[in-house]
Amino acid sequence: MTAADGSGGLPEEAYAAALASVPQVGPATLRLLLATDSPSAAWSRSAFPGDVARIWQRHEEKGIEVCWHGGPGYPARLENDPDAPAVLFCLGDPAAVSTHPTVALVGTRSPTRYGIGVAAQFGADLAALGVSVVSGLALGIDGAAHEGATASGAPPIAVVAGGLDDPYPRRNARLWARVAEQGAVYSESPAGVRTEKWRFPVRNRLLAMLSDVVVVVESRHRGGALYTVEAAAARGIPVGAVPGSIRSPTSEGTNGLLADGCFPVCGVDDILTALALRGVLLPGAAAGAAGPGPGSGSGRGSGRDAAPGGGAEYAGPDRALLDLLSSDPVSLDHLARVTGMELPALCGGLERLARDGVARDIGGWWERT
Amino acid sequence: MLASISAATLTGAVGRPVSVEVHVSNGLPGFTIVGLPDAAVRESRDRVRAALLSSGLPWPLRRVTVNLAPSGVRKGGAGLDLAIAVGVLVATAQLPPDCTATLAFCGELGLNGSLRHVPGMIALADATAPLELVVPLCDAREAFLVRGDAAHGVSSLSELAQILRARGDWPAIPPAPPAPPPPEIPDLADVRGQPVGRHALEVAAAGRHHLLMVGPPGSGKTMLAERLPGLLPPLTPEESLTVTRVHSAAGCLLLDGVLVSHLPFRSPHHSASLVALVGGGSWSLRPGEISLATHGVLFLDEMGEFPLAALEALRQPLEEGVIRVSRAGGTVAFPAQFLLAAAMNPCPCGEGVFDGACRCTDADRARYTRRLSAPLLDRFDLVVPLARPDPDQLLADVPGEPTAVSAARVAAARARAAARDGAGAADPPLQTKAAALLATKLRQGVLTARGLHKVARVARTVADLVGAEQVDEEHISDALCLRAGRDVVTR
Repeated sequence: MTAADGSGGLPEEAYAAALASVPQVGPATLRLLLATDSPSAAWSRSAFPGDVARIWQRHEEKGIEVCWHGGPGYPARLENDPDAPAVLFCLGDPAAVSTHPTVALVGTRSPTRYGIGVAAQFGADLAALGVSVVSGLALGIDGAAHEGATASGAPPIAVVAGGLDDPYPRRNARLWARVAEQGAVYSESPAGVRTEKWRFPVRNRLLAMLSDVVVVVESRHRGGALYTVEAAAARGIPVGAVPGSIRSPTSEGTNGLLADGCFPVCGVDDILTALALRGVLLPGAAAGAAGPGPGSGSGRGSGRDAAPGGGAEYAGPDRALLDLLSSDPVSLDHLARVTGMELPALCGGLERLARDGVARDIGGWWERT
Repeated sequence: MLASISAATLTGAVGRPVSVEVHVSNGLPGFTIVGLPDAAVRESRDRVRAALLSSGLPWPLRRVTVNLAPSGVRKGGAGLDLAIAVGVLVATAQLPPDCTATLAFCGELGLNGSLRHVPGMIALADATAPLELVVPLCDAREAFLVRGDAAHGVSSLSELAQILRARGDWPAIPPAPPAPPPPEIPDLADVRGQPVGRHALEVAAAGRHHLLMVGPPGSGKTMLAERLPGLLPPLTPEESLTVTRVHSAAGCLLLDGVLVSHLPFRSPHHSASLVALVGGGSWSLRPGEISLATHGVLFLDEMGEFPLAALEALRQPLEEGVIRVSRAGGTVAFPAQFLLAAAMNPCPCGEGVFDGACRCTDADRARYTRRLSAPLLDRFDLVVPLARPDPDQLLADVPGEPTAVSAARVAAARARAAARDGAGAADPPLQTKAAALLATKLRQGVLTARGLHKVARVARTVADLVGAEQVDEEHISDALCLRAGRDVVTR
């Protein structure tokens, strides 16, 4: 922590956190307060009631880092943004967002298997390529993207709406901890703040600010992810969308984005191209050393059925099974009926394919990766 | 003169031994009953007096005091009539004092001295062991079920007095009425398609693995579960007796005096309360649905709609096979060795979280899946995701494999497992590849230590079903696929 304030021995960070914790102070007021003064000066000038020491203790206990606009540790990429949060809270390494190029993977909270599969694959492939995946740790697409991204590679970045002391949604608590450990979880809300509705659009804006490219994997008509898109578009950040079936309600938003001129994302290559167009170069990408792991199939078009000839090393029933699988998940029932195989043999074959990374199951439905 | 006669009374569904003490002394003629009698027991004064006089036995014109020990337990019902009457006869020396030493009496008296039916005879008979039991002739068959030759039936008080005086032979117990036809179990042939669901049923039946089916409405969850009893082996005589005892205690025997021979299948509605499910009641300690399902199948349809407390209460009986119900009236242990089959939708709207058709909010979904705590979910060895069958399969006029074929496989698998257990031999070790697969899953965090154990057990059952000596990779894979539904309900 930086220079301690004379009065109570508290660091500047404590006053920044205290200012952000005052209920009457919204993002704009906070920005105004801190525009000219240091946090401690702003605090003593504004004379808000509140126990700075206690607020600070709550943050310290949970290991929450605090930085303010213009202060040390504040992410450089936010500094010139007119809407940048005046005070930023962070769990994990606050510098994580500055080390690697960043791509936001966002989308609906009730996705299809297709969306979950695509998000997880993009998350894993981007992380392996040295691109930080930014997402909101919500259920659905956000969670799936980070599940993929936390496997290995570049540090994952999360932006959440509520206080960092209380994981929300609870079901993602473990993922939350993993992201904080490997990368960083950011929030504009001080500890103890519950996740209120109005904070989500604000969160989505910060998410866009932290990203070099925004990719919407699946979104409904007027889904929450479109706030992120709006914020990105306003800042000239390229926005891509994953095309989906015209019959799927969860692709209405993304297909609409494509119609509006967003670039189509049919594979990780499309995202890399967008990054390169922004002048972001991947560390070691030229050497091809950071290429995707085996079987990750990051190339354009990998979302479609693999070309015939893929998986040539299989023979017999496993080969036939692999041919039956596509990126469209099918139920085990369906496979059992079509192949006429006994279930132990069928499951054995699928498990072998899964082990080699060419197939996977989501809740009992199987698809080709 | 004092006489002490053994009897039993019902506390709810449970019998408790009662000692009936009758004291006859000089004094103003009168008849008092003490020891927490309820109205029916107090009225037995008049019944006993009239019955004695109608049977040609003299009523003492002296002071008669009856004490029902233990005095602290409330006694109800007319079942103590017979014991009081016999006590009066002994106390007034109309019967030899030692003739009742090894006997207990339960029965209601009519004013004409005849013996009448008493409800809950199996529980009463249990409570009077090891004494021989004398009951109304109409109840003798039921008492015989649990006590065998130690149960005697008489039709009237005068007949009883004669037998006791002359140490005569007891009348023969009437033969059992013909057993009612067992309830029809629907056949698996009606189920179209559903290879995974059928396979899961077989594994559940062969290894007694608790089964949770997760699928959208119309995926056949209920249909499959109703056919599960058909795959289980029939009740053994001892199991049959346990089931009969519990059913008698709950007052839902099909026919008095007949053993329950069919496998119980209970499917309580999801509005069932905790007490209805596990048993209880303030004075009447009745067995709940889980006890009525003992040695059979308990089916919880729409598991996500059951009260949270009721579901959590299942955990301990699932582990121990016994439920202990404690109330002000006492503590009772009921058997609860049931096979649990449950069905639930993936989310409140039923459409599931992966098809994009789900209209539930996060809060709805969280509330729904919260019903299923991790410890409870861990009790299910099989969590099977079911899908709606393909339309062409549904419409095809090809019947599915009938229950008989499936049941034969299950029986063979159970025989194999029993032979192995009987031989006392340790389970053959896992095949190398199978062990490697489990190790991978453990390292990936897909399985916990407990999950590992469960998967290995299910895989053993799968191997038994296909007749394999050793558990190999395919059996483990199968077991893993049969718990894939966990992803759906915990997401």
